Amino acid sequence: MTAGTPRSFEGDDEFLAAACAAASRSSGADALETLGWWDLLPELDDPDARAAVFAVFRAQGRSLTGSIALGALMAHPYPVPGDRQPGSVAAAVTRRSLRRGTVVLVVGDVPSELLLVDRPGVGASLVPVADVDLLRVEIPGRLALHEVVVDLDAAPISVPEVDAAPARRRSHALGRMAMSLEMLGAAEATLALAVEHVQAREQFGKPIGSFQAIRHLLAWARTDCAAVEAVARHAVALDRVAPTGFDEILKALAGRNARRACERTLQSFGGVGFTAEHDHHHFHSRVLALDSLLGTSSELTRELGARLRTSGSDPAIAAGVLVPVDAR
Amino acid sequence: MSSIEGGRSDPDGRADPLHDLRTFVDELEAWLVTGPATLDAARAPIPSFAERVEVMSRLMADLHDAGWARYGWPESLGGLGGTIVHRAAMWDALARRGVAGMALFEHLEVLAPTLVALGPRDFVVRALPAFLSGRELWAQGFSEPEAGSDLASLRTRAVAADGGFIVNGRKIWTSWARYATWCLLLTRTGTPESRHRGLTALIVDLRSRGVEVTTIVQANGTDELAEVVFDDVFVPADRIVGQLDGGWAVAMHILSSERGTFAWFRHCFLYQHLREHLDHGDAGNDFGLGGALLDLVAVTATSHDGLRSHEAGVPLGPRATFTKLLLCAAEQAVNDWILDADADLAVGVQDAATAMRRQEYLFSRIVTVYGGSQQMQLETIAKQALGLP
Repeated sequence: MTAGTPRSFEGDDEFLAAACAAASRSSGADALETLGWWDLLPELDDPDARAAVFAVFRAQGRSLTGSIALGALMAHPYPVPGDRQPGSVAAAVTRRSLRRGTVVLVVGDVPSELLLVDRPGVGASLVPVADVDLLRVEIPGRLALHEVVVDLDAAPISVPEVDAAPARRRSHALGRMAMSLEMLGAAEATLALAVEHVQAREQFGKPIGSFQAIRHLLAWARTDCAAVEAVARHAVALDRVAPTGFDEILKALAGRNARRACERTLQSFGGVGFTAEHDHHHFHSRVLALDSLLGTSSELTRELGARLRTSGSDPAIAAGVLVPVDAR
Repeated sequence: MSSIEGGRSDPDGRADPLHDLRTFVDELEAWLVTGPATLDAARAPIPSFAERVEVMSRLMADLHDAGWARYGWPESLGGLGGTIVHRAAMWDALARRGVAGMALFEHLEVLAPTLVALGPRDFVVRALPAFLSGRELWAQGFSEPEAGSDLASLRTRAVAADGGFIVNGRKIWTSWARYATWCLLLTRTGTPESRHRGLTALIVDLRSRGVEVTTIVQANGTDELAEVVFDDVFVPADRIVGQLDGGWAVAMHILSSERGTFAWFRHCFLYQHLREHLDHGDAGNDFGLGGALLDLVAVTATSHDGLRSHEAGVPLGPRATFTKLLLCAAEQAVNDWILDADADLAVGVQDAATAMRRQEYLFSRIVTVYGGSQQMQLETIAKQALGLP
């Protein structure tokens, strides 16, 4: 089974359509070439280029494809010496494992030369890929995931903490926005499959999509997607002028809503949606994997609440701040 | 930003705020710092709705005199130009200054855009400034005892008579009717079977002979709703909004505002409600607080899209429905957290502030009914956004 093409989602535009087409036709690396993604990446401060850079992630989520885009995007804010070829450097993502402590992960394609591994309070190291062991993480989702076996204490610091700290904040913000859009894409695609399914599947002599219980289940999933789409579009458009922590708000919302959408669509698929043969579990697993990186929805939601309560810092986008959204 | 036509200086000769929303907001906020005494009155908790309408009407009069309440409305109808975004910014700023809500002036954002777009010009040119300055307020007469979600089945009849119409029938859940001078009334002018094709929207003077307004006291103790009976009420012919038998289009225009753009205005006050209670919470309910924040941010984004669509004259379509559902979710999440953080609203002494919290909490349980029930909104999405039969 292949992913259906969702129709008429908000924010769909020509570039997203092209990204979806490229992602489903070719390998991740070829898709980025076709789309001119590497030329857009240095233009992140241009709103149109930025929107296009991020559209690739939504396309990857929809088509269950992958590339080096996330690692390249997250490496972009760091000052990396030398003139590097596209695909040669990517940032790893670290997470805390309950059992094994800090784990370093490569999400998507592995870079050809250097892996950027950043440690808060220490700085970032550029580790030659040839010097590390990569353990493939076998989970559904058609998402390439590798754990990196590396002795970080032996790795020299390439970007000192004074430079790494601001780059890290930016890198995480970009990574959270990208993962949010990829989760949105996955949720949209499995919702499109569910809509097809409930129109075809008959019980009691009529399509189950004629029963309000099913219709409302999917209408909620659609509403959850619409919320993520709107917030993601604003986050990408506002970018640096968004209130502090807006990337965390977006990722908390995207993780929560995409998971909820996957649960609702699974219910509408019935048992067939819980088979290995059906694509649903790939979308669902991809959402779970992305939700667990750079802060789960639960962690981020609790932290956002704590920050709001203790600092009173205003996370709202005031009407006046929304002006730049329209400046593009 | 998208272009805003026709700039000019405001009454005090300040720099033209129409060209730059940020300037508009900065100048408004500066004005509010030393704002009128009526602003302080509107920041106090006022459980009585009669008093709240009174206090807000006085504040609106001052905002109108100073020009602020005139931005966002056409110059030809007594406004100062600009778009809905100026109104959005004004109410956002008022919420941030601690004004608790719009009270009856919610209808400015539900009804007035339709009056401006489709109302009889000679009437609106007088009625809009009277509304904006709090002198003559408006109610919306849609629902009937036998016509709720199935609005097109309504039976209040308007029969052509010499120089106008004679209206007979009964409306219910008519918000703010006892405080309003005018009612935008949806009537049947076609045959009983004509459904949505035989409706006409009329402007009815609630002071007319034959109008009887009966207050409905709600479960949260407030009384802004009413049942309104029309017994041979005469309505002049020039009080039609839109076309004769074109009332459905008027209703859809209003509902597009009520579900789409109105969310912006209401969510500004929900944010304020949340902020004001931050010191009630503790680490144990931070997750609920963060969740409410996520729901509010979703409304900010979707309702902002609604404002911009409205500004550009592009119909919102099913997107208004998403916004309506998300607003309801946010309103409930905010009030869930407020209850969670301090259960006094359930079992405590009802001082003014606690009484207000209780009103708001209970009202948040019914928001999924007014303005189109949640089940009808979900059906709209199933049909129009998902393409289900």
